[in-house]
Amino acid sequence: MNALTVLAADEFKAPGLELFEIPPLWDGAPFWLTKPVVLAVLSSLLMIGLCWSAFSNPKLVPRGIQNVAEMGYMFVRDQIARPFLGKDTDRWMGLLLSIFLLVWLWNLLGVVPVLQFPVASHIAFPIVLAASIYLLKIYLGIKHQGAIGYFKNMMFPPGLPKFIYVLLAPIEFLSNLIIAPFTHAVRLFANMFAGHMILAFFSMVGFWFLFEKLTPLGAPVGVVGVLMTIAMTGFELFIQFLQAFLFALLAAMYIGGSLHPEH
Amino acid sequence: MVMPAMSEKERRPEDDGRDFANAAWSIPSYLLAGIILYGGAGWLLSRWTGVAVFTPIGVILGVVLSIYLVYRKFGR
Amino acid sequence: MTTAATLLAAEGSSPIMPHAYELVVGGFAFLVVFLVVGKILTPRIQKTLNERTEAIEGGIKKAEDLQAEAQRTLAEYRTQLAEARQEAARLREEAREQGAQIKAELREEAQAEARRLIEAAHAQIEADRQQALAQLQSEIGRLSTDLAGRIVGESLEDEARQRRIIDRFLDEIEARPEAVR
Repeated sequence: MNALTVLAADEFKAPGLELFEIPPLWDGAPFWLTKPVVLAVLSSLLMIGLCWSAFSNPKLVPRGIQNVAEMGYMFVRDQIARPFLGKDTDRWMGLLLSIFLLVWLWNLLGVVPVLQFPVASHIAFPIVLAASIYLLKIYLGIKHQGAIGYFKNMMFPPGLPKFIYVLLAPIEFLSNLIIAPFTHAVRLFANMFAGHMILAFFSMVGFWFLFEKLTPLGAPVGVVGVLMTIAMTGFELFIQFLQAFLFALLAAMYIGGSLHPEH
Repeated sequence: MVMPAMSEKERRPEDDGRDFANAAWSIPSYLLAGIILYGGAGWLLSRWTGVAVFTPIGVILGVVLSIYLVYRKFGR
Repeated sequence: MTTAATLLAAEGSSPIMPHAYELVVGGFAFLVVFLVVGKILTPRIQKTLNERTEAIEGGIKKAEDLQAEAQRTLAEYRTQLAEARQEAARLREEAREQGAQIKAELREEAQAEARRLIEAAHAQIEADRQQALAQLQSEIGRLSTDLAGRIVGESLEDEARQRRIIDRFLDEIEARPEAVR
């Protein structure tokens, strides 16, 4: 649909939300069989395949893919899990490693030629992960601090003047139980959404002014579009990694906060 | 900041890093919560009374309370 | 199918509204990854990493033990060597002293023996001389009387005869060699 409008119109038209309105793969396919769905499943399979070949039969002296995957494991353990979980790190590494690698792979699909769609730019996917962490956070909090203790520790941090709790407890409640999970999901979604829009915009500028309507005046604009596409792709690679890192980091922080109440 | 003697004794070096990260990632959430809560209350009050100034007062109150909360929780 | 289409249209209207089927697929994808990577593979790599840490720590410990052992042995050898050297020096000194002593004793003994032999020789010579002297004295006396008797008995006939007598006498003396000794 968007390709048609771009081709039909004489004027250049910047890409918009239609980038994310994706029809089923072919006419008559089930309505749910869309590109993001296929990519989500594919990336799961790819990740399982990679991790299986790396860790299914790990050697004491690592070689090849095990070496690379171990670097990923160490990164998650030392940079994400340990700072928040301390001695509980090993128990939660499976979850955090899965989250970090899956989100990173989802994000990476945004710059893979042909596929070129970051799965997390459809908000359903970040929501599933963030909601899982959210439920885990509340479950762990109640398990380790007691139902009353958990909410008391959360909403009434010790050491404040009595009367001020009336004003602050609602902020704590709203922040911890509503805004935190919301921003957890939305931060990832928004970054991938915006990144995809930016890449699409510059590549479309290049395509339009160099191939569709090649004019002496428009050619430099097209060249700039191509160069910017390349530059933004590099930038996106960084953002993709950063967002996967942050998503897993916040998950570790929420889990750690539930295991040990803040003093 | 009043802390139980136990947790003071059990503090390890990595706790400082964790507190810092906790604070860094909690501040935006608290600020947003404060602004929405008290800004929203101010906005409702403005709607009800017709006095427009309640909305900015609510927003500022929310920001101040959030910063105060973060300071008491994570400040030294 | 129409309901699905309208549902899709309604859901697709805003990027902030999640599609129900994507929630299901996303949850499923995450669950599978978590079960395989988180529950099966992560414990394996953790086990391997722990084993590696232990192996490295064990290796370091073993190397340290070996080094300490080697140091101990070396020190032992050094002290033993020093003791042996001292002992050897002591023995050499002792042997030298003993040698010198033996040499001195031997020399003394030899000198004493030599003196003894010389003295014995002197004594023998003296005794022989004395004996010879005594014999000679007695012989001379007897000979003298003998000679005197003959001289007197022959009554000194003539000078030639006397001379013969004396010559014969002297021949007799020469024929008895023991008389001179």
